[in-house]
Amino acid sequence: MIESMDAVKVISEHRGEALIIAEMTPGTELPIVTTRPELDLPFNWAAMGKSSSVGLGLALARPDRKVFVMDGDGSLLNNLGILMTVGNAAPRNFVHFLFDNGVYRCTGGQRLPKVGGVDFSALALEAGYASIHKFSDVATLEKSIDSVISEAGPTFVHLKIVPGAGPNYPYVRVSDCVDAFREALAKS
Amino acid sequence: MAKGRMQLFGEKIFEEFKKCGITHIVWLPCFQLGFIYDVMMKQSEIELVPVCREGEGVAVAAGLALGGKKPIVLYQNTGIYESGDSMRMVTFELHVPLLIMLGYRGWKGTDSAGVVMEPTMDAWQVNYHVMKSVEDVGMISLADKEAQEARKPVAILVVGEEP
Repeated sequence: MIESMDAVKVISEHRGEALIIAEMTPGTELPIVTTRPELDLPFNWAAMGKSSSVGLGLALARPDRKVFVMDGDGSLLNNLGILMTVGNAAPRNFVHFLFDNGVYRCTGGQRLPKVGGVDFSALALEAGYASIHKFSDVATLEKSIDSVISEAGPTFVHLKIVPGAGPNYPYVRVSDCVDAFREALAKS
Repeated sequence: MAKGRMQLFGEKIFEEFKKCGITHIVWLPCFQLGFIYDVMMKQSEIELVPVCREGEGVAVAAGLALGGKKPIVLYQNTGIYESGDSMRMVTFELHVPLLIMLGYRGWKGTDSAGVVMEPTMDAWQVNYHVMKSVEDVGMISLADKEAQEARKPVAILVVGEEP
């Protein structure tokens, strides 16, 4: 399994000019390791699963830019219909990273109301994502990521993440980031 | 054959969308707005983005707006109650101007969707206008101006066809 922060770091280091919209645990970790803070929207607790929807809107508005979403499994369950909406809209520039740790980490590690056998990758495939990838160790993720993110999307990257409560990182409010994000996007 | 009253209403609303520079319609089906959807489905100037639930669509529209496009969301009021967390995010975190057009089911107080509509908009701090006829279509441009200036959602509640 992969430590969440390690996955966030690898994705950020290989992002190039990609926009990153991140939620819950990866949303708290991204501001610490990001390489391009002006191209990030770290939602932390603000989105209730909708960071993927904001990311889809951005991907449709800016087909010239790669858009990465860092989603949690609890967050995806908040907004499961997004898989069908993405499959239908089929944005080629959309990469959906799922941080699957089986728990609500930000609130103390409570178990998700999900029977163990539910396979998010299978749901994404059925919903119409163009490609699906699954990683359970960081070395393989790092070796493969350039090829994965260069594919025509929508791409679903299922990351098996270490469960647990995790540390409490400082809370970065998305409203403090949105003006810089909007400005950076308008310039490029 | 002369155009029906609702067909004309739908066409005028669409003309107003184009005047406002709307680029995308994020939508779910609505009985009350059926007369607009008849026009919407026959055109190709404004892109259509169907979604699965209302809150999801408000967030998709927010992303479109952040990316420089000008979306409007079209729903029935019955479903909009699900979108409270997205409305909070768009209004208080992202500060995105957004037009929301809702079929005003039960506007005479005939069902619960109508009874709690305006109090819900007030609670969410979303300004709204009630559109009752073709004479009111100028409200769309006014609501758009208001949304752009305030950088927040503004709703237009459309009294359309009752089932």
